[in-house]
Amino acid sequence: MSKTKDIRSSLTGTVWKIDASVGDSVSEDDPVVTLESMKMEIPVGAPLDGVITEILVTENDLVEEGQVIARMSV
Amino acid sequence: MDNPQHEFEERRDRALAMGGPARLDRRRASGVLNARERLALLFDAGRFDEVGLFATAERPEDRHRTPADGKVVGFGEIEGRRAGAVSNDMTVLGASSSTVNARKIAYAKDVALKNGLPLVFLGESSGGRIQDNMGARGMGASSWDPQQYVRTRETPWASAVLGPCFGSSAWYTCMADYAVMRKGAVLAVASSKVTSQAIGQFVDAEELGGWEMHAEVTGLVDQFVDTDEEAIAAIREFLSYMPSHAGEAPPRRSGKAPATDPRTLEDIVPLDRAKVYSMYKVIDAIVDAGSFFDLKRRFAPSLITGLARLDGQTVGIMANNPAKKGGAVDYDACDKAISFLVLCDSFHIPVIQLVDQPGFLVGVQGERRGMPAKIMSNIQALQMCTVPKLSVVLRKSYGAAYVNMGGGRNSDDFSVWNRAEVSFMDPGIAVAIAHGVDRGTDPEKFAELRTKVEADNSPYEIAGMFAAQSVITPAMTRDHLVSALAVHTRARTNGLGRRRLADWPYR
Repeated sequence: MSKTKDIRSSLTGTVWKIDASVGDSVSEDDPVVTLESMKMEIPVGAPLDGVITEILVTENDLVEEGQVIARMSV
Repeated sequence: MDNPQHEFEERRDRALAMGGPARLDRRRASGVLNARERLALLFDAGRFDEVGLFATAERPEDRHRTPADGKVVGFGEIEGRRAGAVSNDMTVLGASSSTVNARKIAYAKDVALKNGLPLVFLGESSGGRIQDNMGARGMGASSWDPQQYVRTRETPWASAVLGPCFGSSAWYTCMADYAVMRKGAVLAVASSKVTSQAIGQFVDAEELGGWEMHAEVTGLVDQFVDTDEEAIAAIREFLSYMPSHAGEAPPRRSGKAPATDPRTLEDIVPLDRAKVYSMYKVIDAIVDAGSFFDLKRRFAPSLITGLARLDGQTVGIMANNPAKKGGAVDYDACDKAISFLVLCDSFHIPVIQLVDQPGFLVGVQGERRGMPAKIMSNIQALQMCTVPKLSVVLRKSYGAAYVNMGGGRNSDDFSVWNRAEVSFMDPGIAVAIAHGVDRGTDPEKFAELRTKVEADNSPYEIAGMFAAQSVITPAMTRDHLVSALAVHTRARTNGLGRRRLADWPYR
């Protein structure tokens, strides 16, 4: 049975681009969202293999460390 | 009994039958090994010298149903080297901790300490045995050894979390130098039954202490596997890197070429400092092929820590991982660094730092947890660490974290790649703060000032004042580290450090 896994921002920063879409099958560490922070382009990767079910941010959003930015079924 | 031989055989067979066929069958059906099967896998075939086979519970009414009193203890060989083990037998009163089996554990620890043997804990226990521990006399009889939970890390300890681990199995896992967990097992202070009774919190066991929590949140466990067999294989592998005791250096093997050609390092690491990459690819181009033993992969993943072999010699790799948080060291990464330095310093394992970091991760989340003190603890551990420390800056090292990652004479050998930069902060941030110009408002002026600032960050500047010993090309990295290890041998003490971190607290 699949369960929902939150994908949380690994650090505080600005959403630079959205890399995955709802329905995408992703592998662990595949980029879901890329943030701009610490003067770098930092991907937030999928924590596990699964399917993206929700994307909760848009480009230029400021996100906090730990904030749920997407969800996936695993 | 009239026939001593018969009595011996009958008692022995009863003890070896553990909690009886019904309980053992249930375990087998669920794909889980029993306590004795685990020991048979852990030790080289053919020999296990058990102690305490005839131990039973203290209370007369429990004696007939407590073979080996629920904890199987003994000694054998792992890859030809002697080691001890405590294997919890869940089929005997839930392997609960009792007056007698506490003596068995104490004995194993004492023998391991006196004779320089690694010690393995195969954890699965329900906690303290209530009938032994209840009441003032119960408590008075337990906790009799004021050094019970003190370690000076004289011999390596490894622990496997192979089922519910409450009480002693949880404590010994946290005290161990290495811990592996089978997914589906649980590690917590007390079971969810106790939690719901005590504070009215109803959580399932997985949420209370399942593998995902320990992998991502607590960092109490180093590796996670799917089966008992994999967990035991992982413990054997961990011990292959370690000396049997702190009076000797780690064992050497013959060297192997790295899995990836070191000449590809130039392409693996992008020149653009805003871009990320996986430091695991860099490690594969430096250490002996197949030798990297990753510890706490999902916990504080901006810092990689793991054991490896470099030309056959055990080394500890501590590396920023730009793929996670840009490689910025955060609060948890400091904790991860400290526990890894403790492991390396306790057992004479040289530390190699691969540096590519944008500075400590600043922000309110870290400050709330006391980040400044954690940074100082990390530096204290690094500066007290007496094993050889070799550092290589691949691309950048900014701010106070420059010191935490081996800069400022905190390495025996500090080298920088020919495209690396070292500075107080990222040039872009410096321009914005010092000149009030940012990329958005005045891109031309920003670029001009940034180029000026960057010129001061050259690797030849830091090498020019001998704050770095060498400037190297990426392709030279492995050879440079092998040569540096050959210089920094601590030969006067046969490769032994002073183990100043061996008394460091567990966390």
